[in-house]
Amino acid sequence: MNLYVPIVVLGALALLFAVGSVIMGSFTGPKRWNRARLEAYECGIEPTPQPVGGGRFPVKYYLTAMLFIVFDIEIIFLYPWAVAFDHMGLFGLVEMVLFIVTVLIAYAYVWRRGGLEWD
Amino acid sequence: MSETHVLAEGATLNSFGHDPWWIIGLKALVVFVFLLLTVLITVWAERRIIGRMQLRPGPNRAGPFGILQALFDGIKGALKEDIVPRGVDKVVFFLAPILAAAPAMVSFSVIPWGGVVSIGGHKTPLQLADLPVAVLLPLAMASIGVYGFVLAGWSSMSPYALLGGLRSSAQVISYEIAMGLSFVAVFLFSGTLSTSEIVAAQAHGTAFKVAGMTLHTPSWYAVLLLPSFIIYIFTMMGESGRIPFDLPEGEGELVAGYHTEYSSLKFMMFYLAEYVNMTTLSALCTTLFLGGYRAPWPITWFWSGANSGWWPVLWFLIKIWMFTFFFIWLRAALPRVRYDQLMKLGWKVLIPVSLGWILFVSVVRALRNEHHDVGPIMIVAAIIVVLLLIASFLWERVSASEAQPEEAEAAAEQDPMAGGFPVPPLDAPHYHGVGNGRAPNSAEATRA
Amino acid sequence: MTPVYMAAGDIPTPHIEYGRLAPVLIVLGAACVGVLVEALAPRAQRYGLQVLVSVVGLVAAFAWTIALGIGDQPHHVAAMGAVGVDGPTLFIQGTILVLALMSMLLIAERRHEDSPFTAQASTVPGSPEERESLVAGLVQTEIYPLVLFAVGGMLIFPAANDLLTMFVALEVMSLPLYLLCGLARRRRLLSQEAAVKYFLLGAFSSAFFLYGTAMLYGFAGSVRLSEIAAAISKQGGDEPLLLAGVALLSVGLLFKMGAAPFQAWKPDVYQGAPTALTALMASCTLVAAVGGVLRVFYVGLETLRWDWRPMMWAVAILTMLVGAIVAITQTDVKRMLAYSSIAHGGFLLTGVIATNKAGLSSTLFYLAAYGFTTVGAFAVITMVRDAGGEAGHLSRWAGLGKRQPLVAGTFAFFLLAFAGIPLTSGFTGKFAVFQAAMAGGAMPLVIVGVVSSAIAAFFYVRVIVLMFFSEPLADGPTVSFSPATATAVAVGAFVTLVLGVIPAPALHLAQSAANQLFVR
Repeated sequence: MNLYVPIVVLGALALLFAVGSVIMGSFTGPKRWNRARLEAYECGIEPTPQPVGGGRFPVKYYLTAMLFIVFDIEIIFLYPWAVAFDHMGLFGLVEMVLFIVTVLIAYAYVWRRGGLEWD
Repeated sequence: MSETHVLAEGATLNSFGHDPWWIIGLKALVVFVFLLLTVLITVWAERRIIGRMQLRPGPNRAGPFGILQALFDGIKGALKEDIVPRGVDKVVFFLAPILAAAPAMVSFSVIPWGGVVSIGGHKTPLQLADLPVAVLLPLAMASIGVYGFVLAGWSSMSPYALLGGLRSSAQVISYEIAMGLSFVAVFLFSGTLSTSEIVAAQAHGTAFKVAGMTLHTPSWYAVLLLPSFIIYIFTMMGESGRIPFDLPEGEGELVAGYHTEYSSLKFMMFYLAEYVNMTTLSALCTTLFLGGYRAPWPITWFWSGANSGWWPVLWFLIKIWMFTFFFIWLRAALPRVRYDQLMKLGWKVLIPVSLGWILFVSVVRALRNEHHDVGPIMIVAAIIVVLLLIASFLWERVSASEAQPEEAEAAAEQDPMAGGFPVPPLDAPHYHGVGNGRAPNSAEATRA
Repeated sequence: MTPVYMAAGDIPTPHIEYGRLAPVLIVLGAACVGVLVEALAPRAQRYGLQVLVSVVGLVAAFAWTIALGIGDQPHHVAAMGAVGVDGPTLFIQGTILVLALMSMLLIAERRHEDSPFTAQASTVPGSPEERESLVAGLVQTEIYPLVLFAVGGMLIFPAANDLLTMFVALEVMSLPLYLLCGLARRRRLLSQEAAVKYFLLGAFSSAFFLYGTAMLYGFAGSVRLSEIAAAISKQGGDEPLLLAGVALLSVGLLFKMGAAPFQAWKPDVYQGAPTALTALMASCTLVAAVGGVLRVFYVGLETLRWDWRPMMWAVAILTMLVGAIVAITQTDVKRMLAYSSIAHGGFLLTGVIATNKAGLSSTLFYLAAYGFTTVGAFAVITMVRDAGGEAGHLSRWAGLGKRQPLVAGTFAFFLLAFAGIPLTSGFTGKFAVFQAAMAGGAMPLVIVGVVSSAIAAFFYVRVIVLMFFSEPLADGPTVSFSPATATAVAVGAFVTLVLGVIPAPALHLAQSAANQLFVR
């Protein structure tokens, strides 16, 4: 039996439950039309008109996403390395230290240029 | 307790993939029901415990000790109107709660509950599934879960929800890096990504001899790799999006964050996802750092059967409930951090510390593998750490004293109509409790 | 299905010959040092430090390349077969390093204005912030590490012995260039447009390259060039997977060298990019790209040459003709040189098509000769300036020969070299390439080459006539003199002359480099 089958079974169960709940929610509740209730919630004031597609996000978030990719790739390299570490001897250590140091150089640059600041 | 005995009952990757269909179905159903029940009990327990900590009883009407409160809340949620505001992106709006809830549950499938037991004549491990890359599954599912939060915020077409969704995504991906890095040392020691084998690897510490006695190093990675454990605890808080890191839904500023526009059962799905995530994070921590389902040391000392049969489930539940209590306790005890503090902790503290720790651990392990003496390295590393701590402390002090005059200037120059919009003053006497006699009284009134 | 286990016990420890890879490692290491300089050094000292790091890195890498070349006969694969270190590769790498050093003279130039690059890349063109940063005299010193990263990629590209390494090198070389293209100090919108075009088309061609790699992997079961060659000779060459893979891979490679019909990016990018960077791209990138083409077609696909030759014939003919004919209508100097570069790409392809030792050695020689000439020519362009920066439009160059005979004369000399007039390196290069192509039986190609050379000569001569035989403009451009740029011009002119008058030593060097062909 494939190792992944149980995961798929649980996933199907969870998906069924979530989809069922969301669909059920629109039947079980009462329906009373109210114009104000259909507006976006903004503490009672007139809602701000939202640009189509959500508009533009602050560039900070893009930067965070890019940095995430950099470090996530580092992690992806680190996992197999860590698992096989005992079989590779000093070579594995030296190579990975070089790799981590290279990423740290970029990290230092980003830090010094304020890429990690939130204000 | 003999070595072979333990190995016989502990599961390895070999034990998986042999279950018949009905056992798979049964196990999946048990995990699913367990998660739902855990959520109900956790919600109730949280309200009771926080109530106690705040010197009030908490829910105590529905059922004995109010234990049915969460269930009734759920039923009430289903009977509330399901509001779909105008202007939302309908498909994504419906999809988001599903994306948040379903993956959260899948993560639990790789968590080991116990060793091999016999169900209906079949030898089967007490764990739904295990993979050669099992630990990646919770990480992957956490990433998919983020889609739920982001899409919820985005599809709502509401500024609060959008901000909440963005914050949530930035926060979760920031803390996921540190979380991923905190696992590396564990994999370094266990040599595998399979959860059951990581638990097995924590069964015994390596033996060493001191003064003629054979002793064992601590077997739990929480002790052996304490920095990793501490980093994981931080990231666990960050990933779960709970106090003190609950900025995506900080009600003081964002109403309810990404699920502001959700109601009825769709809202319940987000609620469910949060608590399931909490349970999963606790279970993952138990598995990776606290020896999983294995009984803690003093028990095994006088009771050799503690790790056999169905008993491990008990240890496992005790351990994850410890973490759940810890989550609740923190919520009662800590205030919320600011967003910049949150990101600073994630990017400027946890990541470099993790990387430094990985470098240290790998150097020590490599030298030990090559049979070198690691004593001097330890001393050098200790000195470096102390120096770094002092340096960063001084740095903080210097930069803080540099920043202060600027802040004072900015406050003095603040324009009450900045950019054409009225802005409240950054600093006013009543912020410090001066000149407003009513504030303490009204606080009293609300508490009563 | 039985569970799959990681065979942790039998991971062979790879061995990496750091000594043989040192030129690349030095350049990339210098780039990392440059990043650290950016992070840690105070703003005032960054320029000096960066130039120092870049020049030292390039010189050290060049010295090491020379040492590798004159040491034992270099014919090795390094890093588990991922990189080939052999005669042609070292020749190409050495050429790239020298040309990069010459371009560095232009990039680091700060006599004409604070820098050829924008003061602060993040400011919007025309915004008050931009003006402020200009007034403050800011300089974007990230340029230097970016250039070094690009050069590092260029060094790996022709050396890559498997397609994945080649792809990584392609990206390492391209990504900094995309960015650098958008950093011109003047006409920033044009520059940013060039960067976006280059990026989009480049990303597109990278995808082609990757698809081709995937298909060749599907065919041969390996991305190693030698194993692809072995698979071709074993299984025959009419597999659809193989032919489609070769076609897609060729698209990716030909795009990088700007061969027609994939030349569309070249004029826009060359015109929009800062001229100092255009010099780098027109010389080093072209050398690296042709080096990569050579390796793929000589090592990986040599046994398939009867299948790809017709296609490459068409490409070469089209490239030569498009480059030469469209150039006639150009009114911008940099655009004109861009089309000239396209045409030269076509001439180079005739050498590639020969697939013999003479073809290889003549292509190597041509690359070096063309590289020096083109850096020199772009260096002259940076010197001829108006109030608004470089005088790009050809009409502004009218009568320059009467006011600045030396500068105009040097430029005319470079143009004659492009045209392939005897006593210039261009002539020797073309002669060698055509000779090799004829030996390889590509007579029609040679005829087209000669014809398009004649067409090209027309517009080169037109510029010379414009400079020397028309009246100078009243408000014509001035020539801004500076030692660094003048050095670049002088070196370019000197090498162009020497390779034209006494080409034997250089030809001999290229022959001995090509003698062993590429290592497999």
